[in-house]
Amino acid sequence: MISKWLDERLELQKFKDKFLTKTFPTHPSFLFGEIALFSFITLVITGIFLGFLYEPSIGKVSLFGAMVPAAYASVVRIDLLPMGIIIRRIHHWSAMIMIASIIAHLARVYFTSAYRKPREINWLIGLGLLGITLGAAFTGYLLPYSQFSVTATSIAYYITESVPWIGDWLARLIFAGEFPAHATVPRFFFLHVMLIPVLLLSLIGLHLLILVKQKHTEPGANRNRKEAQAGRRLIGIPVWPEQNYISVSLFLFLMFVVVLMATYIPLNPIELYGPPSPEATVMRPDWYFLPIYGFLKLIPGDLSFTIAGGKISPEAIGGVFFPGFLVMLLAAIPFLDRPKEPQNYIENPLHRPFMTSLGIAGATLLFMTTLSGYIDVFHIAPSAMAIYVIVAIAAAWVISYLLLRIYSRSGKKGEHVKN
Amino acid sequence: MVENNSESRDGKVTRRQFALGFIGAAGLAAFGSLLSFLKVLTPAKEGSGYVPTVKSGDKLVYAKGSRQGSLLKASDLQIGDAVLAYPKGKTKNVANIVQLIRLKESEYKPPTRVNETDEGFVAYSAVCTHLGCIVGWKRNNKDPEASIIECPCHNSMYDPALGAKVIGGPAPAPLPQIGVKVSKDGTLVFTSGFSGPIGPKV
Ligand code: HEM
Ligand code: HEM
Ligand code: FES
Repeated sequence: MISKWLDERLELQKFKDKFLTKTFPTHPSFLFGEIALFSFITLVITGIFLGFLYEPSIGKVSLFGAMVPAAYASVVRIDLLPMGIIIRRIHHWSAMIMIASIIAHLARVYFTSAYRKPREINWLIGLGLLGITLGAAFTGYLLPYSQFSVTATSIAYYITESVPWIGDWLARLIFAGEFPAHATVPRFFFLHVMLIPVLLLSLIGLHLLILVKQKHTEPGANRNRKEAQAGRRLIGIPVWPEQNYISVSLFLFLMFVVVLMATYIPLNPIELYGPPSPEATVMRPDWYFLPIYGFLKLIPGDLSFTIAGGKISPEAIGGVFFPGFLVMLLAAIPFLDRPKEPQNYIENPLHRPFMTSLGIAGATLLFMTTLSGYIDVFHIAPSAMAIYVIVAIAAAWVISYLLLRIYSRSGKKGEHVKN
Repeated sequence: MVENNSESRDGKVTRRQFALGFIGAAGLAAFGSLLSFLKVLTPAKEGSGYVPTVKSGDKLVYAKGSRQGSLLKASDLQIGDAVLAYPKGKTKNVANIVQLIRLKESEYKPPTRVNETDEGFVAYSAVCTHLGCIVGWKRNNKDPEASIIECPCHNSMYDPALGAKVIGGPAPAPLPQIGVKVSKDGTLVFTSGFSGPIGPKV
């Protein structure tokens, strides 16, 4: 009844015929993008709830007799509401899952070479999405205004200030003055709940629009089947209804996992950290910033020099150039690894020794710099750790390259490889 | 229009090229004028960060814990102990916070300013020169004299007996020292200002 009413006005049937009958190739690793999307939806929904109750101000208010920043007090009050702390933890867990799935999605696209022509644009948009999502996590982290979030953010403030030439200006732009300024929390709040979500939403929309236009890549095995049938259509399952069953169950399962974790695993217990105070706390950021954090521990403090009036400090090297270099390398990849023809099948990573071993070296870099964040726990000197990091990366690269070479030589007899 | 393409035959600028160029220039100008808004979005620093207001003669009080705000006594610290302290009445300004340490007076060697230590007490700014965390105290229980200052954030280490010289980690400079002495009633008093600028040197 309703669907008929709507169809008469919106021509839904036409839309359904055009878009929902599209085919979606099946492969479990194609689900990471969807997990990122669903986590984002969860973040928006829980974020709206938090937005009703959060107070973006560091003016002092009384909480159980103590004078604390209003932002901190409002988050403590959220935690005291029935389900409040669960919603907050769902928000934080979803943020972590969103970032983890984006990284897995990036790795999937990288290792299967799905970034190749014609999909360079979506690869670049994807990198933008990754950056903006990390920006969301960073701005969100300050909002509860606990001892922990303030310490973490002030470290980020000095890293921003260390950017050569424009650091001072950039720091004042992002932090609305010198952190902790009164204007910082309102600015972060605006960025976190307004500007960044709108940017994410529009870029995800563009990402998916391009995906629909270009069609998804297919597992290489499809190539053989198609050649047999002399057909050119995508092989897979229709978006509606089959793919939808998968997506909806995936979403529900994700919700189940997130709610379960939010219920039983405490996360960012701000009541424990307390409001900002001069306290020597062991400070480690959320895991997704650990590579930068660990890298900062490795660089000797006297390693600084000046180029054209800009000071290149250790903080700039660890906090700005190191991640900047990684992102630039990633951005360049589809333009360096160019196929002769536009490519619509994914490749088997085991048959791309160079690119796959490069990816493994990159993953080792992130893993080892993350470990460097814990040198105080393992009692390793920074200089020794720096050597371990370099050795591990080189070893991972060389060994995986050689193994893959041997493997692909031995298996390359058949004309087309099965995936 | 006879000519569809924007190229002119004799090298003259066509109306279309002119119009496009004009729109382009206007667009650039409009964009440029928008840039001036960036100024509005970057408030000047309030000058609040790390300007210490501590004066010679200020008394030291506990910076945290259950005795926060109460006067520090020389008898509160054994050799190898340290506490975070503020000048009394100036506890709102984090540039004032110090790590007060007690070692044996004979331990202090230059570059420590030995004339600014008293009865084994020495005080350094507690703001890490790396990225501004508040430093902590790593007590060596076997050999209290060998205890060091360690920052919890990226493990910069400073030697309290050698003018808070950096002995490990990423910090670029020692912690500035500030003079302290034990007054007649057993409380601790600052006797000077800091020996250098406070906080990160970025
Ligand atoms: C429309 C979207 C969003 C809204 C309205 C929103 C709103 C909020 C609000 C009001 C807070 C402060 C309350 C609190 O700290 O618990 C918060 C915290 C936070 N947000 Fe969001 N958020 C959104 C999206 C995101 C996204 C996309 C991410 C990251 C991928 C993210 C990560 C965080 C984190 C890490 C915190 C700190 C949580 C904690 O205190 O444990 N948020 N968000
Ligand atoms: C908020 C973050 C992101 C969301 C929600 C998202 C979503 C999606 C979805 C749902 C798909 C189709 C299903 C799949 O292959 O997984 C997809 C495909 C794709 N994504 Fe993303 N993505 C995000 C970030 C990224 C990043 C970081 C990159 C790479 C740097 C990237 C590059 C691509 C490419 C190249 C495709 C086409 C893959 C193909 O056709 O095989 N995306 N994205
Ligand atoms: S802030 Fe102290 S070591 Fe980095």
